[in-house]
Amino acid sequence: MIALIRSEWLKLRTVRSNITMTCFAVVLPLAITLLTTAFIGIDSVDDATVSAVLLGSGSLSVLLFGIIGVLAITQEYSQGTIRLTLAANPRRTRVFVAKAIVLSILSAGLTAFIILVGNTAGEAILDSRGALGKLSNDDMGAAYLAMIALSVVVSLLGMAIGTLTRNPPSAVTILVLWPLLLESLIGGLLSLVINSIGFEWMPFQTGMNALRLEDSDMDFGRWGSVGYFGLWVLGLSLFAHTVFKRRDA
Amino acid sequence: MITVEGLTKKYGSTTAVDSLSFTVTPGRVTGFLGPNGSGKSTSMRCMIGLDRMQSGSALFDGKSYRELKKPLHEVGALLDAGNAHSGRTARNHLRWLAMSNGMSPKRVDEVLELVGLTDVAKKRVGQFSLGMKQRLGIASVMLGDPKVVILDEPANGLDPEGIRWIREMLKHLASQGRSVLVSSHLLSEMALMADDLIVIGKGRLITECTVPDFIDRYAKKWVVVKSPQLDSLVSVAQSQGMHVSLGQDVAEFHGVAAATIGELAAKNNVVLHELSTQTGSLEDAFLEVTADAVQYHGNTETQSNGVAS
Repeated sequence: MIALIRSEWLKLRTVRSNITMTCFAVVLPLAITLLTTAFIGIDSVDDATVSAVLLGSGSLSVLLFGIIGVLAITQEYSQGTIRLTLAANPRRTRVFVAKAIVLSILSAGLTAFIILVGNTAGEAILDSRGALGKLSNDDMGAAYLAMIALSVVVSLLGMAIGTLTRNPPSAVTILVLWPLLLESLIGGLLSLVINSIGFEWMPFQTGMNALRLEDSDMDFGRWGSVGYFGLWVLGLSLFAHTVFKRRDA
Repeated sequence: MITVEGLTKKYGSTTAVDSLSFTVTPGRVTGFLGPNGSGKSTSMRCMIGLDRMQSGSALFDGKSYRELKKPLHEVGALLDAGNAHSGRTARNHLRWLAMSNGMSPKRVDEVLELVGLTDVAKKRVGQFSLGMKQRLGIASVMLGDPKVVILDEPANGLDPEGIRWIREMLKHLASQGRSVLVSSHLLSEMALMADDLIVIGKGRLITECTVPDFIDRYAKKWVVVKSPQLDSLVSVAQSQGMHVSLGQDVAEFHGVAAATIGELAAKNNVVLHELSTQTGSLEDAFLEVTADAVQYHGNTETQSNGVAS
């Protein structure tokens, strides 16, 4: 299994589009955080400024990790390498799991890096400007951990959608439209039909709520939100895995 | 050894491969022939577990492909040279394959050397010609030094030197005791490299035999005669019901042995300058045997839109 994981890692890091997308996912939240802390008015800075900016831009980064998840599998189909992959490793569950492990480690590791660098540099910039940069909010650590968990969940969601569609453009479109359009439409319709059910049951939006600093803002709590979204993604991944195992390559 | 038993593959109501059975023997190059759409590529994909067969089995030294722990060490298969990421370098393409089966990077350099791609190892596959991609595909086949080699149209896109290289290579691999199964539309090449043939049509086995047997069994034979008294020999032959076609200074006798013509000539005091038996090529035999199995026919006449020229 280790050999397979190393092989999948090599595959992911030897394609330029994957590297570009990964750079975007890392640089974008860092740039937004650093620029915001460098130019924000001193009067509007509070103890949660760095975290709020980092977590806000982090949601974009999380989505980009989802696109990396899409590319990790759809490239195999669009370039025909899936046949080589499965000929080299006919036990398909192992291939699926190896890809998921590589994506999870990559997303979690880079998100932790974004948080570490973004938080440290953001606070240093605010300090140098004489503003209060240190965050005393107790929820900060939990929100950061939730960001790491969400980056893993969304990258796996991307992989599941990619496995089912096998086509990069359509998988990316579904991944992007899911939170932006689909859940808004379905949640809106549901809340019209059944008063007690609404947006809180929409998995992506509920999951992304875990990036809020205040736990009281979330219907299911921070880890309940991540867990609810995670269960949806787990279900979709299991379905994608079943299709992956049975389908002709 | 490859043993295929009752391989059946259906796509909806269409049966692409129908109860196909054959064996590929170690130490011999076995040609896999059939018209377009006859099920060759589908059979190969089913054999290595890429497509699911409805019934039947394909065993490699008694094991199914899915049972092989490190399959690249047992079976090397090249089904489409285009199956490589265009943005990845040739070396990295082979590295991930090697790594997945626990092979060292040194082996990657060895196979690149073997196929003559060392100088372009750091070039992206997207910049490769079709012939270079075929060589890269062969390199991936040879990574694990497998006992069984399966190639689908390996000569596609290769120049004459490349075609000769692949022919010599496959013969060399077979001489080392490996089982080699190769499909190709280049029948002249197949005649030069294959020892055995498996011919299929419409998903079914038509025949399985050695190349000489195949030609002997299915290619047409005729006797060519040159003689200063050709007219009188032809008249006598035709009077005896023989089928003769006349060319310039030669006559071709069909469905009769050379000895019979020789005796007939001697009996009628006809001097012969040539008496030889001609046999059709592998291509002739193939076209003869698959005539009923061809799904897609071309037409050599151009459309005139009904206007007389």
